[in-house]
Amino acid sequence: MLTRRSFLQSSSLVALSATVPLFVSRSVRAAAPDRDARVLVVVEMDGGNDALNTVVPHADAEYARLRPKLKLDPKRLVKVTDAVGLHPALRPLDKLLSDGRLAVLPGVGYPNPNRSHFESMAMWHTARFDEAELRGYGWLGRAMDPSAGNLFSVGGEVSPALRGRRSSAVAFKRIEEVLLTDTTAAKASVGAESADDLLAYVRRQATDAHAAADKLAKLTGDKTSPSYPQTELGERLKIVAKLLKAGVGARVFYTQQSGYDTHSQQAFTHATLLGEFAAAVAAFFADLKASKLDERVTLMSFSEFGRTIKENGSAGTDHGTAGAGFVCGPTVAGGLVGSLPNLTDLDKGEPKMTTDFRRVYHALTADWMGLPPDPAADKLDPLPLFKA
Amino acid sequence: MPETLWAAYTPDDQQPWDLKRAVHLHRRAAFAGTWDELHRDLKDGPEKAVSRLLNGTANLHAAKEFDKTSTLLFDAAVTQGEIGRLKAGWFYRFLLGPHPLHEKLTLLWHDHFATANGKVDDPGLMRRQNETLRTHAAGKFAPLLNAAVREPATLLYLDAQTNRKGHANENLARELMELFTVGVGHYTEADVKEAARALTGWSVDDGQFVELAERHDIGEKTVLGAKAKFDGAQLVDLLLKQPATADRLVKKLVRQFFSDTGVSADAAKQLADGLRERELDVGWAVETILKSRLFFADANLRNRVLMPVEYVVGSARVLELFDPAPSTLAMADWSARMGQDVFDPPNVGGWPTGKKWVHSRSLIARANYATALVTGPDSGRTVAYDPAGQAKRHGFGATPADVLTYHHRLLFGTDPPADTRNRLEPLPLPKLTTALLASPEAQLG
Repeated sequence: MLTRRSFLQSSSLVALSATVPLFVSRSVRAAAPDRDARVLVVVEMDGGNDALNTVVPHADAEYARLRPKLKLDPKRLVKVTDAVGLHPALRPLDKLLSDGRLAVLPGVGYPNPNRSHFESMAMWHTARFDEAELRGYGWLGRAMDPSAGNLFSVGGEVSPALRGRRSSAVAFKRIEEVLLTDTTAAKASVGAESADDLLAYVRRQATDAHAAADKLAKLTGDKTSPSYPQTELGERLKIVAKLLKAGVGARVFYTQQSGYDTHSQQAFTHATLLGEFAAAVAAFFADLKASKLDERVTLMSFSEFGRTIKENGSAGTDHGTAGAGFVCGPTVAGGLVGSLPNLTDLDKGEPKMTTDFRRVYHALTADWMGLPPDPAADKLDPLPLFKA
Repeated sequence: MPETLWAAYTPDDQQPWDLKRAVHLHRRAAFAGTWDELHRDLKDGPEKAVSRLLNGTANLHAAKEFDKTSTLLFDAAVTQGEIGRLKAGWFYRFLLGPHPLHEKLTLLWHDHFATANGKVDDPGLMRRQNETLRTHAAGKFAPLLNAAVREPATLLYLDAQTNRKGHANENLARELMELFTVGVGHYTEADVKEAARALTGWSVDDGQFVELAERHDIGEKTVLGAKAKFDGAQLVDLLLKQPATADRLVKKLVRQFFSDTGVSADAAKQLADGLRERELDVGWAVETILKSRLFFADANLRNRVLMPVEYVVGSARVLELFDPAPSTLAMADWSARMGQDVFDPPNVGGWPTGKKWVHSRSLIARANYATALVTGPDSGRTVAYDPAGQAKRHGFGATPADVLTYHHRLLFGTDPPADTRNRLEPLPLPKLTTALLASPEAQLG
């Protein structure tokens, strides 16, 4: 059967490339310049987000007992089910939740949890647990290897999750990197079509580049575009949205929000961070919706671990185990996906995970991106994250 | 023996020694020639021009006390643990080193033995590997390969330390075969598994290569049809003896000195045969290429997309931006924005080539870099480039037509065609220069 993808791959890339501005190189083996291709945006919450005060089991009496100082008022929570609510600072996500576009994932982790930031993050990045493999290829880099695709890291350095053997990760810091500083000179530099194959190719690409830069410059100057919070994550997701609007040729975007390592007096910090997260994500999807791009994009957030369910002596929490994740997109099965960890069935003082994160990855790569699953984890069924 | 396809170039009516060819030679074998270098070579003839590049006397603008300064720069980068400074230190070498061809070959081997600091996370080990590649850059391939695969940075990048008896990690074995030597199609998956066993025990301890006997699988292995109790060194020897290794080296060199289209299969085979007869002497192959009629053939002129490093360094050189020079930190950063972040290649396969360098993000960065060089501040210079002054210094007038002609000859070795004149002459001189530097034509060379 001739699928859309195989049709695009077999048709003339040269013909298509003349009309699609691209920001990254692509091998001929790579997926065709399909502007409709589905995109995954990953937000890494660095430091270990306190899962218990993110997805809150307020109906469980154990919750209040574990969190004498840090417990959240049930009346202020964002309702997910009768027994479960989100931290009040996540209120900006309410609309996505009520539209059925936000999946809330409690208890996401992996067997034999490690409480070192570095080790645990490496496991999430690589989806491997053997010490020997923790410096190897990342789960997203591997997923994009067969198509030698491109992955964009927005804001920081390239995450180890994006390392692939054939795919390429690009660190992208500022929108200025794709705006022209001297438009006049750049445009004057391109001569008329020529017979010379290679020169003609470069000329077409240059014309496309200038068109894309123009488009981005307009987007940047456009005051009517949906507003984003003036936060680092807000800025980063705004860049992702601009790149998507300009027709970027990458399917994976990755960015970070740091500061979740809340060992003491966490209430204010944690609320601020979650508030920034929720406002940025809500603005991002509102922006995408206004540009009719929201049907193409799914966002996933995760943290390297949750925090101790029992608060510590300084009104904070220490490194714990399974965490809370969010997946937001047009086809997600909205609401709670998976069950809450049992707060009394503990292993070394912490609850057991309820969802293996590799099942989340499996669903995202296979069911959303349409990519082959990780062979090392394909025995783990994909989490039913998406509507059938 | 068929007639050699690598006959030496002697100028004739068909292939005269002209400015166009002098530009070509410096683009491919160095980081572009300045006006004085091009005209010196034009006068002295191709033989001398090539010899200068081979023996490291071509650069008229090499820094005084280059060795001392470049060592200091690398030392400081390592002491501070700053990979950005190490990258800048390498751009210092590209821009101001006396031996651009050697530096270019070092970059070629960095691409061949691609290793990224993003994973290795140790500027000291990256520097060490870089110096090893430089030491062996133009010699025989056996010492280069043997040294490169034992570099701690290479080993860490390819997870060698996790490859131990009964617990194989195939990463190093696979890339050793697929990328460093024989290439795809010349080994099986079973060979990779067996080669990984041979490499068990290779590891890094305290920044040094070590062979850990207790981790080594001493059993018999079958690799590429040979059966023996291979260890790592014997495996490398076996791979060096494979005819396909020379073929792969030829591909690599042809990509550098010709274009992606390359040379005919017959020419490639003759060069590979020559390498096999000479213990894979890379220096011989480079010399043969640069002296050949094939290298200077019309079909090989201006048919290759410049790599970002070539574009970044070459543009600064042709404008003679030596005093003050652009910030080498900025140059490294511009190159990264164009897609070539030295010491951080995108993956084990190294950087793309040819058309794959040409995409919007890269072309915008190239255009913006041209602006930055001409205007100054964004390239770390406090003064702007003076197009008319520079043209005048080399005997041209100051009209837009004169300034354009000077820069066009400098970049391409030819006079500007009418279309280019019509588009660029109406522009103010700095914009005219920027546009020429940013032009699609100037991305080739």
